[in-house]
Amino acid sequence: MSAWRLALAVLAGLALSGPATGAPADGVGRSIYLRGVLGSGAPLEGTREAGVVTTGADAACVNCHQRSGLGSVEGSLSIPPVTSEYLFHSRAHDATEPVLPYVESLHGNRDPYTDATLARAIREGLDSQGRPLSYLMPRFALSDEDMAALVEYLKALSVRQVPGVTDTVLHFATIVTPDADPLKRGGMLDVLEQYFVQKNLFPLKPSPRMLTSGKTQYSKSMYMANRHWQLHVWELTGPAASWRAQLDKHLAAEPAYAVLSGLAGSSWAPVHEFCEQNAIPCLFPNVEVPVTAERDFYPMYFSKGVLLEAQLIARTILGPDNHPAAGAVEQVYRAGDSGEPAAEALAAQLKGHGVTVHSTVLAARAQGHGVTAALRTAALRKDARGQALVLWLRPADIAALGDVPAGAATVYQSGLMGGLEKSPLPAGWREHTLMTYPFDLPDRRGVRLDYPLGWFSVRHIPVVAQQVQTDTFLACSLLADVLNRMADNFVRPYLIEQLQALLEHRLITGYYPHLTLASNQRFASKGGYVVRFRDPGGTALVAEGDWIVP
Amino acid sequence: MIPQSRRRVRPHTPYPTGYPTPAVLGGRHGVVVRLAALTGVVLFVLAASGGFANAADDAFSAPAPAVSGPTRSIRKYAVPAVSLVRDDGKVVALPDEMNDGRPIVLNFIFTTCGSICPVMSSVFAQFERRLGADAEKVHLMSISIDPEHDTPARLSEYARKFHAGLEWQHYTGTLDASVTAQRAFDVYRGGKMSHAAVTLMRAAPGKPWLRIEGFVRADDLVRDYRELLAAR
Repeated sequence: MSAWRLALAVLAGLALSGPATGAPADGVGRSIYLRGVLGSGAPLEGTREAGVVTTGADAACVNCHQRSGLGSVEGSLSIPPVTSEYLFHSRAHDATEPVLPYVESLHGNRDPYTDATLARAIREGLDSQGRPLSYLMPRFALSDEDMAALVEYLKALSVRQVPGVTDTVLHFATIVTPDADPLKRGGMLDVLEQYFVQKNLFPLKPSPRMLTSGKTQYSKSMYMANRHWQLHVWELTGPAASWRAQLDKHLAAEPAYAVLSGLAGSSWAPVHEFCEQNAIPCLFPNVEVPVTAERDFYPMYFSKGVLLEAQLIARTILGPDNHPAAGAVEQVYRAGDSGEPAAEALAAQLKGHGVTVHSTVLAARAQGHGVTAALRTAALRKDARGQALVLWLRPADIAALGDVPAGAATVYQSGLMGGLEKSPLPAGWREHTLMTYPFDLPDRRGVRLDYPLGWFSVRHIPVVAQQVQTDTFLACSLLADVLNRMADNFVRPYLIEQLQALLEHRLITGYYPHLTLASNQRFASKGGYVVRFRDPGGTALVAEGDWIVP
Repeated sequence: MIPQSRRRVRPHTPYPTGYPTPAVLGGRHGVVVRLAALTGVVLFVLAASGGFANAADDAFSAPAPAVSGPTRSIRKYAVPAVSLVRDDGKVVALPDEMNDGRPIVLNFIFTTCGSICPVMSSVFAQFERRLGADAEKVHLMSISIDPEHDTPARLSEYARKFHAGLEWQHYTGTLDASVTAQRAFDVYRGGKMSHAAVTLMRAAPGKPWLRIEGFVRADDLVRDYRELLAAR
């Protein structure tokens, strides 16, 4: 196709997308790039060397060139950036020129593309100088209209003006919902504020431009220290239904580049949707009930929280061969607390396996009250063997279990809700109770906590909620590492992509044995232990088996 | 024009404290560091940061024959005695899976891998089809390098997507078991994102392995396979 025809088609594409649909990114080009769906609705089809055909979502550009369009490095393969500045910029004559922001996969060794040579690259697999592209790049038979839409999309992709990033400041937000535990809230904010103070101790000078080679006259980490980190604490109020509007208002007033940590009670869905729909990286909030949408891109969690615990209990009850060890399961939770969605998740997983599931729901906001009476009723059904009692309860309720006989049933307790090894589980219950433990065991994780705990101590941060605070510290240090790796390329999806690439190399992973993410993976730690208390008192635990990935 | 030496070795973003050093990550990076020493560039970056370089950055756009074609070598590997979980959910011992007498073609993949793994798996699928009736005699094995995410159910779904035949199995297990298997076949690169495109082939138990590094076409894989069997 000649250049002018392509230009006309691009104009036509622009006209079609118009202001009604917002950015041109909403059109056919986006659909081809992200989902592998052509303008006609038919699947995109690409052919690699030796006739290997790939279609639809598998053929979509995003698989290799990434959401940001900045490419990636996988093993010895380097997949180049395809945003307009890298495609159409004149050849970098000298790697010391501050022409293009550094990306690891940059290929400077070719002439700039034109619309015509780019179309040839996509259709015939030849670069701007007519040399064959790698075997990984399929050849796509795109119509002129689809090609124009795709090129238009690439031209608008990852433009460098990113909200929340100025020449001297990086703006971050943390989000606290009104139902968050006040003690944990204080602990998390202490860590965040102190981390930002430390980050900003470095003298602020005008940022030197990063060169295309990835170098400045200083090292990269010093370069990053030249931007202040500014924290905005977005405290939500009122019912969950009103949070989304509050968040949009906060964002308009204080544009944030990313959301760092955050704290919630049982509802995080409005925040999750806010992050995904506004395309804001939302890194590792302290939430017990995350949203399990693996196909979403921007929210990232350390673990699936109580939903993972529900899976661990289901796995233990059903066994590896799906032969239930219990015929009836009684779940106890407080209305409106994290135990409610957890109990629903467990019931759903036990469905269809011949297990009867009952629930005993305690009144909201009366921690420590009513649990004995409710359990007496529940325990009446527990007098036979082969039954299980599942406690989705906080420490105050656990402590109030005191005079209730444990009976013959196996008891499962949520470690996350009940306080882990510090759970005040009465002595009489300990023998019968298995606790889900979605972290590494205390004696194994100790060495990974030495640094954050020492850091807290030196900065006089009281440790009031160790796991929340060390997770917050881990989120901060991961963010710092990723930003160093990104140099000055602050495009938001690139933050997520670089985090995915970096995370599994991290050795200091706090409470978690290891962390890993990838496209379509939103939970960095995938498993947990089932443990029991070793003694009638104290905090010593014994694992019932190996690390379980349900 | 960027000088040749600069194009060959690009300074990798330094890995901060808390990440393994190149020495921990294994052999390949050692080669890269030596290459950097030979070309005499960016060594100060490596020395100062503890980072490592990526030597193959031009592989995608520049048609340099040295990096675009696969390389073959004959290697001896000891099959480690690890337990893996097959895509049908059965716990199996890796030596048992490898030593049933059939020739083996082996690779390492993960199901959320967007770029190289689907290509490698498509090649396995083509290889099966091109062998025709002979496919029954071979055992194709794909071991996940992201075993905690790649449950047997996810691996079965992945296998179905590539129309895997009965002689092609996928394996997962604990992270330790997967890493042990990767190390035994010298494909461990510190994580799934630094995945090596390697295909391994062995004619029979006790025989050495043919190691193919890089992208290999299904036709070439069939040729390699037939040659390996003929030499048995």
